[in-house]
Amino acid sequence: MINRSELSELERRALVHLHEVIDPEIGLNIVDLGLVYSLSINEEAKSIYVEMTLTTQFCPMGDSILKSVEETLNDYYPGYQAEVKLVFEPRWDAGMISEEGQAFLG
Amino acid sequence: METRSRAESQEVPLDVVVPFYLYAAVFLLISCMMLIFATESFQGHHFQPDLLAITHAMALGWGTMMILGASYQLAPVLVESRLQSPLLARVSFVLAGLGIPFLVYGFYSFHLGWVSQVGAVAINLAVIFYIINLAWSVAKSKTENIHAIFMVTASCWLLVTTLLGLVLLLNFTIDLLPQDSLHYLSTHAHSGIVGWFLLLVIGVGSRLIPMFLISKYTNEGLLWAVYILVNLGLLLLMAVELNPALPDLRFLSLILIGGGIGLFLYYLIKAHQQRIRRKVDEQIKLSLASVGMFVIPLIILCVVITGIEIPRPELVIAYGFCVFFGWLTAIILGMTFKTLPFIVWSKVYRHQSGKYRHPDPKDLFDHHIYRFGMVLYILGFIGFLLGILIKIEFLLIFSAALMILSSILYVWNVLKVVFHKAKHHDKPIRTQ
Repeated sequence: MINRSELSELERRALVHLHEVIDPEIGLNIVDLGLVYSLSINEEAKSIYVEMTLTTQFCPMGDSILKSVEETLNDYYPGYQAEVKLVFEPRWDAGMISEEGQAFLG
Repeated sequence: METRSRAESQEVPLDVVVPFYLYAAVFLLISCMMLIFATESFQGHHFQPDLLAITHAMALGWGTMMILGASYQLAPVLVESRLQSPLLARVSFVLAGLGIPFLVYGFYSFHLGWVSQVGAVAINLAVIFYIINLAWSVAKSKTENIHAIFMVTASCWLLVTTLLGLVLLLNFTIDLLPQDSLHYLSTHAHSGIVGWFLLLVIGVGSRLIPMFLISKYTNEGLLWAVYILVNLGLLLLMAVELNPALPDLRFLSLILIGGGIGLFLYYLIKAHQQRIRRKVDEQIKLSLASVGMFVIPLIILCVVITGIEIPRPELVIAYGFCVFFGWLTAIILGMTFKTLPFIVWSKVYRHQSGKYRHPDPKDLFDHHIYRFGMVLYILGFIGFLLGILIKIEFLLIFSAALMILSSILYVWNVLKVVFHKAKHHDKPIRTQ
């Protein structure tokens, strides 16, 4: 799971924007779901790098979720080059859902 | 913008999956309509042309076609490898789609010559192509998991069932087997019901239900125990049925299979208890309940083989009816609207994700129609089952009519999902 204390102010704001990306099946945003593993922004190079996973490999919704991440970053950071990398190590499990996420689902 | 997406290049095309769903929905309607014309046969012996036709329409046209379609979509999730050949999947649809009506018509008209034989050959080819595709996908997978093993084993049992079916059909016109085909009917049925349907339901359900519930519970050891018990029970049942010289251990085989189902139920209960998602939707509730429904036909089968002095023909027919119109149909009715809306949604809204507000996948079908259809179906199912057991013609006709109405609503809802069009006037998420 992403370590928020290591993020810059700009990165933390980008993470807040990623709360707008919702997993269509679960109805919860991808950040609280624990799908975002890392996020970094290089202001000089104007690049954003997101490392994330899916609840399951070959998730039928995967394409749409990745597209949403891309569109969200595009809209909030015009002129930046964003790269979204999909990883499956470590594997996602239900324990990665944040407390806020668990409260939403409960 | 550079996006590296594994999912993007590995999606199963919509035209591979959806035709199976549509075909199966139509066959549910056809099967329910056939019920109303076969009420007299439901009060007699189970080996009758119209009952054979209805059984195969349900087992192949409805159950198997729906499961094949869902498998092509879900196999990548279960075996963690992309579907290797969408082309083979399309070929399997064409072959099975053509073969099933031939076979069903052959049984209905009791034309067991070339009409049904052509149908059976086409179905066997479709199953072979399905297995090749699945085995190919599993071989390419980098991980090994119990769900894939269930799936592959179930597919092998499907091939055993359809091959045996073909041999039984040929045996009507050529003497291939030492005894007449009726003698092997039970073996053919059980390899299909337990080997194909039950193993597949367990393999897929043990992955999907905890996934939809967002459960922390996993227990691969328990699933291995289920796998061994069910397969061992089935092998024992088939051995006893095929070789009368062996001691009658059918009861033991049912205990083994029943034990496997019991452990699977325990697995689902634990998954349900340890779920993070507290609100469980109706489709999942129905799927959970339907697993327990297999206990009903199992009890009937136990009664049939114990030789208790009760009328057996009614019980044998009730057993088949409970399996196909009860247990299997309940699972599919629940899972259709848990899978199809997501399949269609992900294609329709893929290019709008993150740009526009759009309906959720669960909004693609009409929930009121779904609930009303379920009530009608349950009433129809219970009524028809009672009609079989106590032989009341009017009850059989009335209940069949309820089931027809329910299946019309189901088809309508399936069509509503399949032909859903993206709503272009939706508001953008961000307006800047």
